[in-house]
Amino acid sequence: MVVNEDSQLDIFVGSTIGSFKHVKYYTDNTKNNKKCIENLVDVKSLQKGEGITCMEWGNKEQTEILIGKKNQQIQVYHTLQGNKCIYTADYAEGHVVGLGKVNNTLVSAVSSGTVRVWGDDANEDIFTGGKLDRMRVCSDDTLFATGGEENDLKVWRVGESQPTFSAKNLAHDWLQLRQPVWVTDLVFVPGEGGRVVAVCSRHGYVRLYDTRSQRRPVQNVTFDLAATCIAPSISTRLALVGFARGQLRQVELRLGRPDKGYKGGAGAVTGAGAGGGRVLSTSLDRHLYVHRYSDKELVHKQYLTSKPSCILVQTETETPLRKAKSEREVDDVTEPADDMDAIFETMETVGDPGPVSKRPKPSLEGSTEVVEDTEAAIAKLLRSTEKTRKRREQRKREKKKKSVFHNA
Amino acid sequence: MARGKDKKKRKLEKKQEGDDVPKKIPHTLETLREKDETMLVNADTEEQEEAQKDMELDELSTYYENSYEPKVLITYSDNPHSKTRIFGRELTRIIPNSLSRYRQRSSVKRIVQSAIREDVTDVIIINENQRQPNGFLLIHLPAGPTAHFRLSSCKITPELGKDHKEITIHRPEVVLNNFSTRLGLTVGRMLGALFHYEPQFRGRRAVTFHNQRDYIFFRHHRYEFTKDGKRAKLCELGPRFTLKLISLQQGTFDSKRGDYEWIIAGRRHQMETSRRKFFL
Repeated sequence: MVVNEDSQLDIFVGSTIGSFKHVKYYTDNTKNNKKCIENLVDVKSLQKGEGITCMEWGNKEQTEILIGKKNQQIQVYHTLQGNKCIYTADYAEGHVVGLGKVNNTLVSAVSSGTVRVWGDDANEDIFTGGKLDRMRVCSDDTLFATGGEENDLKVWRVGESQPTFSAKNLAHDWLQLRQPVWVTDLVFVPGEGGRVVAVCSRHGYVRLYDTRSQRRPVQNVTFDLAATCIAPSISTRLALVGFARGQLRQVELRLGRPDKGYKGGAGAVTGAGAGGGRVLSTSLDRHLYVHRYSDKELVHKQYLTSKPSCILVQTETETPLRKAKSEREVDDVTEPADDMDAIFETMETVGDPGPVSKRPKPSLEGSTEVVEDTEAAIAKLLRSTEKTRKRREQRKREKKKKSVFHNA
Repeated sequence: MARGKDKKKRKLEKKQEGDDVPKKIPHTLETLREKDETMLVNADTEEQEEAQKDMELDELSTYYENSYEPKVLITYSDNPHSKTRIFGRELTRIIPNSLSRYRQRSSVKRIVQSAIREDVTDVIIINENQRQPNGFLLIHLPAGPTAHFRLSSCKITPELGKDHKEITIHRPEVVLNNFSTRLGLTVGRMLGALFHYEPQFRGRRAVTFHNQRDYIFFRHHRYEFTKDGKRAKLCELGPRFTLKLISLQQGTFDSKRGDYEWIIAGRRHQMETSRRKFFL
C-alpha cells in the first residue's frame, strides 16, 4: 500500500469491559487528539460479562463487524448503519473465541471447543476435540481453522465433519519428551488461498503450516516469551506477533526467523494490525500504539481508558466519525469569518507606515554639529592635549625629586 | 556575595509583606510531576464514567461491594530465617483474618489452587534474600490480579524498639495515599482489599500505605485525639517497610505464560524518561 502524506486509518477497538470504540488515526500527527475517539456503545449500561473477546470483519468491503462477547452473544455491527442483529451462541460452554462469515453464513466458535455453522433452517455443530483459543475463517475459501490448549491446529471445510488438515506435533526433544502444544492465535496467510496458516503459542513458538506439503510445520521460530496474538503485517511474508510481556515482534515466515521489533508497550499485546504504512497494536496497559512500519518508530500512543482486547484496522474503506458529521455543518458557517480576518490583515499593512520608518536620527544631527565648528573643536582638542602633556611632565619631575636612586 | 545580599533583600521584602501573602508551593519532583493522561483528575466526564465502569467490572469490585470478608494467607520462600518469619507473623497481626503458614516447598501455582479451595481471598508470599525480606508477591483470588513488589527497608517491631504486645486485635483503619493513575488505583485497591471493610474505630489503629514517587511506604500507628479534638497524636507500632511495584499481572500467578498488565523489566530506559515521571 502506498503511504500518503496525509492519509487516515479507521481503527475499531473492543475492550474487556465491553466498550467498543472507533478511533480515527491521521498520519499527520498534529490532527490526532481525544476527539478522534468515539464510543459506539453506551458505557453506562454495560454489565458484567459483556466484555468483547473476539472481533472480525463480516464482509470483504469491511463495513460489517462481527463482535463476540463473554456472555456468548454475537453482535453484527454495520460501520455506517449501526447495530443490525444479535445471535446467542449458547450451544456450548465458554466465551466466543472465533467468528467469521463463509458465503454469508455465520460461523462461530466457543472456548469449550464447539464450532457452529449457522444455517437458515438447520445449524451444524462440530466438536473440534478440545479447548479452543482461536477460530478463524479464511476469506478466500470456505475454510476455517481452529486451535487451543493441547488442541493443535486443524483446518476444516464448511459442511464437512472431518478436518481437511490436522497438524502433527514436532518430534520429541532430545530427552524424548513430548513438546507441549498451545495455539493462542492463528492466521491464514493472505494471498495463499487458505493453504498456508501461521500459528503462535503461549509456549513461545511461531509455526508456519503448509497444508499441501506436510502435517508438521514448515517453519518453526522459537522465542522465550509467551505469544498472545498474530496478525498479517504489511507484506504477506511477514507476520506481527505480540507477546504477553509487552513485546511486539515481526516474524519472517518464509525464512523462519524473527525480524524487527516494535518497542513501546508496557503490558501484554492483545491485538495487532497493519495498514497504510503503520503497525497498530493494543496493549493491556490500556493504550493503542502506532508504529511506523519503515523505521519501527513509535509515532503515536493513545490512552483508551479501558483494557482493549481486540483491534480491527479498516484498510478497504473509510468510515466518518459520527460526531464529525454534525460538526461539519458548523464549520461551513465559520469559514467566511476566516476570510474576513484575512482581508483585515491585508488592509492593516497598507494603511500603517509601520514602526520601521519612524526611526530616530541622532547620528545625522550629531554629524552636522561637528561640521559647523570644526576649527573650534580642533583648537579645543589641541589645548587639552597641551594641558595633559604639561601635567604629565610635572608629575615626572615630582617623581624624580622623590626618588631615592636619582638623588643618590 | 551578590546572592547573599539578594537573600537579605528578599528576606526584608518578605517581612514587609507580612503574613497575609499566601505561601508559595515549593517546586519538588511531585509538584512538577509530568502530566499523566491516565490520571482520573485530568480526564473529562466521559472518560471518567468509563474508568468508573472499568473499576466496577474488574476482579476487585466484589470486595468493594462488601460481598465477602477477606481471608488472607501469608507464606514465605522456603526455609525463612527469623526476621522474615517475625515479619510475616507481624503482618498477621495487622491484617485481620489472616494466617501465616510455612511453604513446605510448594509451588506458587499449587498454593494458589489450594488457597482457592480453602476460600482464601488473597495470598501474600514474602521472599527472602540474605536473611532480609526482599520480595512481596500479592495475589488476589480467585481470578487475579497479581502484583509483584520489591520489599525494602523492612523494620520489624524489635528493630524499632517497640513491643508487639501493644498491637491490639481490633481491625485497623486503612489509609491509601496518593494512588492517582489507573495503575496506581489498581494497586491501591488491591492493597485495600486485604483488610476488612469495616474497621473497629475503638482500637484507634491506622494502617497507612503512602505512595510517594512510586515507592509505597507502609506505617502502622495508634492515634489519639488531643483534648480539643483538632489534632491527633500518633504512636508508631511497627513494622515499617517500603514497596516498589515490579509488575502487575492479569489473572493469578503465571510468570511465564500469564498476561502482564504492566511490567517494567526490560524497558526501564524507555519508560523512565524523566525524573519527574511516576507510574502510580
